[in-house]
Amino acid sequence: MTFSDLARFVRSRKGTVLSVALHVLVLGWGLFSFSARSMVAPPEDLVPVDVISEDNTSKAKAGALSGKKEIAKLLADKIGEKKPTEDIVGKVDPKPVTETDAAPTPQPKPEKPVEKKPDPPKPIEKQPDTPKPVAEKKPDPPKPAPAEKPKPEEKKPDAFNPDQIANVLNKDKPKQPPKPQAEAAPPEPPKHKSERKFDAEKMASLINQKDPTRQAVTGTDLNANAALGSTRGMADSNVASWSGAFQTAVRRCFGFPYNGQDADLYEADIDIPMRPDGTVAGEPKIVAVRGPSRSVAMAMAENARRAIIQCQSYSYLPKNQYESWKLIQLVFGLKDLR
Amino acid sequence: MISKFGSKVPMQSNGAISRRGFIAGAGAAAVGWSAALAQGPQGRLRIDPNEFKPIPIAIPPFVPGGPGDADVANGISQVITNNFKRSGLFAPVDPAAFAERITNFDAPPQFASWKPLNIDGLVTGRATRQPDGRLKAEFRLWDPNKGQQVAGQQYVTAPEYWRRIAHIISDQIYTAMIGEKGYFDSRVVFVDETGPSDRRVKRLALMDQDGANVRYLTRGADLVLTPRFSPSSQEITYMEFGQGDPKVYLFNIETGQREIVGNFPGMSFSPRFSPDGQRIIMSLQQGGNSNLFVMDLRSRTTTRLTDTPAIDTSPSYSPDGSQLCFESDRGGKPQIYVMSASGGGAQRISFGEGSYSTPVWSPRGDYIAFTKQGGGQFAIGIMKTDGSGERILTSGFHNEGPTFSPNGRVLMFFRDPGGTAGPSLYTIDVSGRFEQKVPTPGYASDPAWSPLLS
Repeated sequence: MTFSDLARFVRSRKGTVLSVALHVLVLGWGLFSFSARSMVAPPEDLVPVDVISEDNTSKAKAGALSGKKEIAKLLADKIGEKKPTEDIVGKVDPKPVTETDAAPTPQPKPEKPVEKKPDPPKPIEKQPDTPKPVAEKKPDPPKPAPAEKPKPEEKKPDAFNPDQIANVLNKDKPKQPPKPQAEAAPPEPPKHKSERKFDAEKMASLINQKDPTRQAVTGTDLNANAALGSTRGMADSNVASWSGAFQTAVRRCFGFPYNGQDADLYEADIDIPMRPDGTVAGEPKIVAVRGPSRSVAMAMAENARRAIIQCQSYSYLPKNQYESWKLIQLVFGLKDLR
Repeated sequence: MISKFGSKVPMQSNGAISRRGFIAGAGAAAVGWSAALAQGPQGRLRIDPNEFKPIPIAIPPFVPGGPGDADVANGISQVITNNFKRSGLFAPVDPAAFAERITNFDAPPQFASWKPLNIDGLVTGRATRQPDGRLKAEFRLWDPNKGQQVAGQQYVTAPEYWRRIAHIISDQIYTAMIGEKGYFDSRVVFVDETGPSDRRVKRLALMDQDGANVRYLTRGADLVLTPRFSPSSQEITYMEFGQGDPKVYLFNIETGQREIVGNFPGMSFSPRFSPDGQRIIMSLQQGGNSNLFVMDLRSRTTTRLTDTPAIDTSPSYSPDGSQLCFESDRGGKPQIYVMSASGGGAQRISFGEGSYSTPVWSPRGDYIAFTKQGGGQFAIGIMKTDGSGERILTSGFHNEGPTFSPNGRVLMFFRDPGGTAGPSLYTIDVSGRFEQKVPTPGYASDPAWSPLLS
């Protein structure tokens, strides 16, 4: 095959040649780039692992499991909902009259709020915007609002519309008054409306409305978050190992100036009775000493004992695990001294 | 959660979930779990210090027993404070921080006022000139945390020995706090050097380990070198260039008597006592070589220990007297060798770069100190008696002649800065952390530490 044959072939089958060439290119590139990558040892991930007791892990898990779903949203909700509730309290009085009339219509809607549950967070984000105008409004006329009763009534149909079209309409500020209603509905929509259904009488529904809304926001919601305790609850039991913190603290105070080459042979077992407040109850007890020279070992043990006393108090020890550090058993040594 | 992390780490490093990797991961997780159990209330938590920490101690001025005793009382507490400061093992608290002025030696101190200083020990004392003219010194060592007396003692002596009482008290406190014997009640013999460098006058001198009470033993007419203390008596052996060859002499500090050790034809040098003080080991020059000989001081018989065509010198006994370390250039460069005290085969223990000389066996038996020369530097170092664990404590233009404190915790050596200046004495502890200059009236070299006086 001569060069001219080759050239003819190339010309006649440009597509094939191009395809082959590209394939070779791609494969070659892959071969080298991938092989080059494989040559580089991936840096090992050092994952800090805290050693936690059984109790700790189970508690930490319990908290995380029940809390995960709501933590992020609830924390945001809290800020938003607190203020609207005040509005509701102020404006509930005028509304119930109309709501009870409209009560039959909302019945189909309980299903919609369920679908829109993802939506509510968005209005909530905007609520930080809304409270301001509300705050502006309030000082002007706390009671003029009831004077404007007709408007909320007119807007009620609007209020239902934003529920349906949700985001787009909510962005308008004039619709602030209705929003509280929409909000009051989404957090606990089924409950309120189901209650309304059960209570046929207006008075009953009025009473029921007031109480649950207050409780929902100030009571259960807050408590729910507190119980999840993503910060506080975990912090208490997440002291990965109190022993580590304790070790570090005592280690800082302890320093026996012995410079013999047999330093690593010296050890002293010391028991420390502890009070629940993290102070040492009575004298730490020297249980045993080991080492080539008993006098040096005893001197080291006394030194360690003084270190324990001087290092007080150990108030960071987790109170709920008091049983585990009621009596702390330590062994002091001089291993790190050359 | 934890076990997941535990198994994740090794798996990630393997890159693939191989069977072995998985097993290793599970194993690591299991180890992590067992470690978690060991952290529980069952196991003892281990605590090792992360730094070498001097013991904080307060030494308020001693209470004067009478109107004329204030100077001595102050002096004693000053000497103790100075001893502790120099040791590096204690950190005497600045008197300005003292909350209480001790005025009554017989009443316990107000411990509550001392507690904020976080001290481990509080020393109180009293110095009283008695009607018979003698000085009575008392001290108590308190543990302010417990509010208990740890140690207490009283001494009576001639007033001029008040410094020695201070040293003895220092040793007592040292023993109570550290658990081993101190070294403060000891002396140092050295070569005092005066005059210009080309006409240096060298005299034997004796002083307390802190540099006080200097006393000259020779007049400086003849050159003296390498003085060494007897471990059991008030005697010093040294080398002196007399009329003829340099000879090894024995000198009695109390009586001032001196005599030549042995009667050898050539030069004898680098003498040292055996631990029992009954023998002197030294080098004897024979032609171009020198070998080790030991002489029994009672029978005056001499025994040859080495017979090599090399220079064997600077012998030093182990504290039990069973072994010797010495310097020899039989392998080419001067190195340290160890052999039985009765002679025989010697084992080389120094293998570092450079040359090693002036080995000294610690009175504790754990280290051999040496001078190491190399790279234009002279260093002072220690190694274990098998040659391992070599540690250079200080290094510079010229450091030489280490000698151990009686408790084997501190080394004294001399350092020559070069130029027209002369050498000075320094101490350094065996960890190499605390180096201190020893005050001497003039230039000083060749120190040798005495055993404890009491």
